[in-house]
Amino acid sequence: MKDCEVIESSLGAWLDGELDRSEAERVRIHVQECPSCLGEKERLERLQASLKGVLEGGASGLAFEPFWDGVRQRILERKPWHARLWDWARPAFYPQRLAWAIPLVIVFLLGILSLEQFFPGWRWGLNRGNVAAVDSIDGHGFNVAVFRESKTKTTVIWLFEDQEDENESSGESASTDSSF
Amino acid sequence: MELSDWELVQRCQQGEIAAFQELVVKYHRKVFMVVLGIVNHREDAMEIAQETFFRAYRNINGFKGGSSFYTWLYRIAVNLSIDFQRRQKRSPVEFRETMDDLMDKGEGAKLANDPYVDVQGREIGKRLLAAIDELTPDHKAVIVMRAIEGLSYKDIGRVLGCSEGTVMSRLHYARKKLQEKLGPYL
Repeated sequence: MKDCEVIESSLGAWLDGELDRSEAERVRIHVQECPSCLGEKERLERLQASLKGVLEGGASGLAFEPFWDGVRQRILERKPWHARLWDWARPAFYPQRLAWAIPLVIVFLLGILSLEQFFPGWRWGLNRGNVAAVDSIDGHGFNVAVFRESKTKTTVIWLFEDQEDENESSGESASTDSSF
Repeated sequence: MELSDWELVQRCQQGEIAAFQELVVKYHRKVFMVVLGIVNHREDAMEIAQETFFRAYRNINGFKGGSSFYTWLYRIAVNLSIDFQRRQKRSPVEFRETMDDLMDKGEGAKLANDPYVDVQGREIGKRLLAAIDELTPDHKAVIVMRAIEGLSYKDIGRVLGCSEGTVMSRLHYARKKLQEKLGPYL
C-alpha cells in the first residue's frame, strides 16, 4: 500500500517520460502487477487526452489572417517615429548589401588623402599650424644635433657614426687578439 | 526549404517582417491554446496572444539564441496571462464568455460521430475547464504547457523560471486536483 502511494506520485512523471531508467522500470513493473495503480495510470491517460482535446477544440476556430492583422496593427501603431525611420533605412545596412559600402569607403579615404597633391599645403584641417618651429641647432662638437622647439621640448638626433675610426680601432683589437 | 526558428529570428533581427510572420504562422495556434488554457476566455486569449507576438517582435533583438525561440515566446505568453489573471481577480468582470459557453455552442469541442460520446465528451470538457479555472495560474500554466505541447519538464521550468522538481510537483498537484473534480467522468 505504501509502495502504491510512492508509485502513484511518480505515475505522471513516468507517463511523461521524465523518470530515469531505473525508476521508470520500477514503476512499470509495479503497474503491471498492481490493478489499482494500473487503473490510476489509465485515468491519468484519459485526463491528459481530454485536456489536449478540450484545449485544441478551443483553438479550432482560430483563423490566421485576423490574428496576424491584430499583431501587425500593434507593430505599426506602437512604433515611435525614429524606430519606423530606422526600419525604413535598415535594409541598406544588411551585411550582404554592405558589400558595396566597403570599396566606397576605401575610395573615399584615398580621395581625401590624395587631395594634398592637388592642393599643396592642404592638410585636412588636422595638422594645420602644427609645423615644428626650430629655435636652434647645437652641434657642441659631437655627432649630434639638438633641436629646441620650445623651452620645454628638446629633440636630440644622432647625425652619424664615425665609421672609419670605429673600423680602425676594431681592426687593431682583432690583430692583437690573433697574435695571442 | 523550411528555415529553422533561429534563422527566422536572425532575419527578423535584420528587419524582415516576413520572417516574423512565418514565426507567427508556426506558433500562433499553440500560443493561443496556452493562453486560453490559463485565462479561459476566448477574446482575452486572442488579445494576450497578439500582445505576446507584438512583444516578441519588439524585443527580438534581445533574443540571442541561448534558449529555444518557443520557450522564450511561451515565457512572454505565460507571464502576460498570469499578470492578466491576477488583474482580473482584483477587478472581476460581470459577464465573461468563458470556454464553457463555447462548449455549449459546440465551438469548443471536437464533435464525435456517436451522439452519446459527443454529449459525454462535452460534459467532460465543461467540467474539465471549470476544474482548470479553479487552479492557480502557476498550476494552470504547467498543466496546459504539458498537455498541448508536451513540453519537457526542463523546458517548462525554463518558461516559468523554476526547477524541474517544482514543475513535477506542480503537475502532480494539478492533475490530482483535476482528477478529484472530474471524479466518475474519467
